[in-house]
Amino acid sequence: MGERLVVIGGGGAGTAASTIAKRTNPDLHVSVFTEFPDIAYSPCGIPYVHGREIPRFEDLFLSTVERYVEDGLDMRMETVVTDIDLDRRTLTARNTHEGFDKLILCTGFVWEQPAVPGADLEGLHYVKDIRRAMEFDKELDTVKRAVVIGGMWLGVEMAGALGRRGIDVQFIDEGPWLLSELVDPDVAQPAQEALEKLGVTVQMGTRLDGFEGADGRVRAVATSRGELDCDVAIVCLHKLPNSALAEAIGLRLGTTGGVVVDDHMRTSAPGVWAAGDMIEVPHGLTMLPIRGLTGSHAYAQGRVAGANAAGEDRSYDPVWIPWGFMSGDYTIGGFSIGETLAEAMGIPYFVARGVGVSRARYFPGAAKTHVKLVVEPGTLRLMGAQLHGGEGIKERCDFLAFAAKRGATLEDLAWMENIYSPPIGALFEPIQIAAQNGLAEQRTREAVTV
Amino acid sequence: MTFAERKHELRERSELYLRLAAMEDIRRRYPDAGTRPAAYPPAPAFWRTVFVPLYRRLPWHVKQRAMRTLRMTSEGWPEGARQFGTPWRPPPGGA
Repeated sequence: MGERLVVIGGGGAGTAASTIAKRTNPDLHVSVFTEFPDIAYSPCGIPYVHGREIPRFEDLFLSTVERYVEDGLDMRMETVVTDIDLDRRTLTARNTHEGFDKLILCTGFVWEQPAVPGADLEGLHYVKDIRRAMEFDKELDTVKRAVVIGGMWLGVEMAGALGRRGIDVQFIDEGPWLLSELVDPDVAQPAQEALEKLGVTVQMGTRLDGFEGADGRVRAVATSRGELDCDVAIVCLHKLPNSALAEAIGLRLGTTGGVVVDDHMRTSAPGVWAAGDMIEVPHGLTMLPIRGLTGSHAYAQGRVAGANAAGEDRSYDPVWIPWGFMSGDYTIGGFSIGETLAEAMGIPYFVARGVGVSRARYFPGAAKTHVKLVVEPGTLRLMGAQLHGGEGIKERCDFLAFAAKRGATLEDLAWMENIYSPPIGALFEPIQIAAQNGLAEQRTREAVTV
Repeated sequence: MTFAERKHELRERSELYLRLAAMEDIRRRYPDAGTRPAAYPPAPAFWRTVFVPLYRRLPWHVKQRAMRTLRMTSEGWPEGARQFGTPWRPPPGGA
């Protein structure tokens, strides 16, 4: 038998790593260990099934375990790896020891648990596992009141989904505005209004004090602004790296608590790679390590780890993190840093703003597109952006992140080419408008200074 | 507590208190955005009265140098964006 690669984890990073490794080197014996019974589904789609925008959970599956077996992978479902001996190259699972030559860790994330009384009551729900989501969805048929806790974007998606389903939803978060760890207040405001249109009551600046229960089940959420009755509470605090196994085998952890890897996804131990939510990677602007990115990042990192474990030489770039999601029927997005984060980090910046339309203004369905660019003074290099509006936000954020990664400046964006076709694009591209406005303000500032 | 754990804690705390201070400033900048005072526990005196004001006074390049010296930035990674004029290079083995 040839070399044996073991991949631990069956999420986006693990499935990408194992399939790419096998494809790259068909002689490699690839085993995938996952504690769950399912593989290759999109957990990010779960809120949309709860909200009935996607009809069935089965639609979230991209492939089957059988398909991976047909592709030559050794699938170990519902198998927890309890110990790894790196010196002997053995692992322990189900009380048996097995050997391996190379190892890729993709153990993902765990949800931060609220450190308040009542956090162990039934009726508290964390969105992660699809089987649990299927059960929870049946519960939702009888739920009248729900409280969503935590201002990360999954919380916003869940609040919107439950509101769409006719459930009375209270959304609480300690932050001063919606998604305040990520989004600026001017961008958060329309996102909050869109949630409220779905009947969600948004209570920002509200601290979680505990969960009140009856017969072991949550019946209310205690907050700094009073008690909120509920049938279920959905907890969406921070994603934490599931790095316990990595730490136990002595892999180096970084300042975020994630596993340290280099640009080839190599960990501090020879022959061991890691990818996905458990690792930290540098931000392209600051080179500070960050973690807890998106599913597409996990998948891409898994591909790099898998290819390199199979003998290739593939690297992964520092990240500029394009992001975006729906708040109700409204889209917000961005990349890298916004005004709040630039301010917090003390990075010199100025803001260039513009408002355009997504299609020709006379074409039915044209929606306003708001663009805010965060720019480095002097060099005029693009450092970040936040956008909101209707269609086309996602594509613009992807484009801007790529442009920034290649060093684009406000001048580049102000004179960029764009598609003008009435049903899909206006004469003036909103990004261009923001950049032109930014340059004009810059000239005014310089004139005043002179 | 190990050195790595100290660095982890330093980063967590500094990020939190710098972010809270920035949020207050940004709230004032957007008075019509429907914001509310945050409900986080107040920052301890050292972070509020010493660390945050001192950090804010330092120029960005000094902060960057300090972060590198403390090895808070990533190592083993190529730095910075590719420059214009540098030809795009496909990854080995194709996409």
